Amino acid sequence: MKEYFHDMWEAGRTLTLGLGITFRHLFQKTVTMQYPDEKWELPPMAKGQLHNVIEDCIGCDQCANVCPVDCIYIETIKAPADMNQSATSTGNPRRLVVLRFDIDMAKCCYCALCTVPCPTECLVMTNSYENSVYERKDLIYHYGEFSPEQAKTMKVDIEAKLAAQAAAKKEAIAAKKAAAAKAAAEKAAEEGAAAAAAAARVEDPAPRPEDPVPGIEDAKPNVDTAPDTGPKDEPGSSDDPAEGE
Amino acid sequence: MFGIFGSGSKDAKPEVERQKYWMEGDDMIIDMSTPMVEHIHEGEDMVLNMGPQHPSTHGVLRLELLCDGEIVKKCTPHIGYLHRCFEKHAENLPYPEVIPFVDRLDYMASMNQDMAYCVAVEKMLAPELPERVEYIRVIVSELNRIASHLVALGTFGGDAGALTPFLWCFRDREKILDLFEWLSGARMLYNYIWIGGVARDLPDGWVAKTTEFLDYFEDKLKNLDQLLSFNKIFIERTANVGVIDKDKAIALGLTGPILRATGFEWDLRKNDPYSIYDKFDFDIPVGAGEYGPLGSCWERYYIRVRECRESVKILRQALPNIPDGDVMEAIPRRVKLPKGEVYVRTEAPKGELGFYIVSDGTGEPYRCKCKSPSFSHVAALDYLCRGVFVADVIVILGSMDVVLGEIDR
Repeated sequence: MKEYFHDMWEAGRTLTLGLGITFRHLFQKTVTMQYPDEKWELPPMAKGQLHNVIEDCIGCDQCANVCPVDCIYIETIKAPADMNQSATSTGNPRRLVVLRFDIDMAKCCYCALCTVPCPTECLVMTNSYENSVYERKDLIYHYGEFSPEQAKTMKVDIEAKLAAQAAAKKEAIAAKKAAAAKAAAEKAAEEGAAAAAAAARVEDPAPRPEDPVPGIEDAKPNVDTAPDTGPKDEPGSSDDPAEGE
Repeated sequence: MFGIFGSGSKDAKPEVERQKYWMEGDDMIIDMSTPMVEHIHEGEDMVLNMGPQHPSTHGVLRLELLCDGEIVKKCTPHIGYLHRCFEKHAENLPYPEVIPFVDRLDYMASMNQDMAYCVAVEKMLAPELPERVEYIRVIVSELNRIASHLVALGTFGGDAGALTPFLWCFRDREKILDLFEWLSGARMLYNYIWIGGVARDLPDGWVAKTTEFLDYFEDKLKNLDQLLSFNKIFIERTANVGVIDKDKAIALGLTGPILRATGFEWDLRKNDPYSIYDKFDFDIPVGAGEYGPLGSCWERYYIRVRECRESVKILRQALPNIPDGDVMEAIPRRVKLPKGEVYVRTEAPKGELGFYIVSDGTGEPYRCKCKSPSFSHVAALDYLCRGVFVADVIVILGSMDVVLGEIDR
């Protein structure tokens, strides 16, 4: 019986103690925030929406390599010699044309590992965090300068251009080789023959191998000698996010 | 609701009495092959399914209870609802890229998880860590231990029917998350501790702000004691429930606060020191048996409160003494481990967290096994829940503080 009343007393005492503390909290400042009206100010280095400044991007593919969830899709192609791309703001030359730079924010795990190796610091995490969209495809952010159709035609154009250049180069090399071989043969022949009349033939101008063949631009590129189309995957490969939708 | 109409501790069965609920030939092995329904022997028995959507299973844990009226005769935890294939996935990623996934194991204490993984990798890599890195790591780990314990304390109070401490604990935890957000940019999944260093240096004013928080927090802990810990109703509800003794706890592989609540002094920060924990002066809180037997739900709860105080003690020693240095200097450009294997165990808030890494000399782990404390703890539920009331199952589960992220992995 005594224990019963002791328990009751203890319960009452500790309860009053607790309620006293809660009562004091009535007069303290509230800690809740009325979210849509007032917003918490994020610190400057907060990890929010990924953003890529495409003008500074050199398409080095390092961010895509380091991404643990593979949510960055980059497609690049070597810039042809006559395409003058402006340098980045850090002064790096842009040797690749970034045809496509997509980030699937639905996949992104906000680890910010991709922002670390970026040589031009163009890929950053911004403070924006209210990124709800109505459709899943809207979460794929396109940072590239070209639309997909543009990129497709550009790719074909640049490939043709590069192929032509490569073919021209190859032809030039072949011509040079042929000329050199011819010259060597002639020289041998000349040395072998003691006749002075033969020496005059050497003066004949061989075709200069350095000159590109005019009109080669329109020539159909040789399929066997098609140049490398860039470091990244083929268009329409299985990891294309747009196709999975 | 939330176990509020549970039994009083006076009615709870002591272990000897509970043993009559252990069925013959049915040992403590969790037998998944036989459906629970086949265990029904008497007419009164019924199978009760608890979870995975139950609010007090702390995630997606499903418990299958065989009940005789209100008394639980057998409890089978079903896990795997949050399985994300961490271990297999880690085998296909370079070592630094595993860290975002390690974060997601125990998402309540990501810093401690990162720390365990990085200490394991660094044991093989053996980089020369700057002193500053070690200090920052200890500071963030201890802060995160407090945050994790606050969730455990708050939700335990919530499971027992006290909602106010729950809100207060989350309010204080929010302050820690703000500090972490300032430090690493993220609130919960930080990816802050990296192999060979930390991702960013401390921002200006961070140390002062953290010290300010500690002053604030010590005061709030006293409030929590008055409000919940020594409340007679709360003690009556929890002090005699879910009792486990030292030998059984060791046999079942329990670690962390649950093991210490049985009176066994075991803390890997002291017993197997890693990082620079041997430099700090702190105590290992063990169960003292102020109320009821050792190893009860209340002891487990109060161990966490005292551990928060110990963490504050460590932080007070570490914060003013951070040496200067470059936190990024020892981060390797490419992590390539030598051939071999390593197991490192660390003291996470939930218990012993270990990483077993086998390297075949490439840049990716050949095997990355995570020994998570909650997995062992949930396996002990069957032992703890036999012979208790259904409402007590909720209290027992709350006092275990399991996180399904690291059980299912």
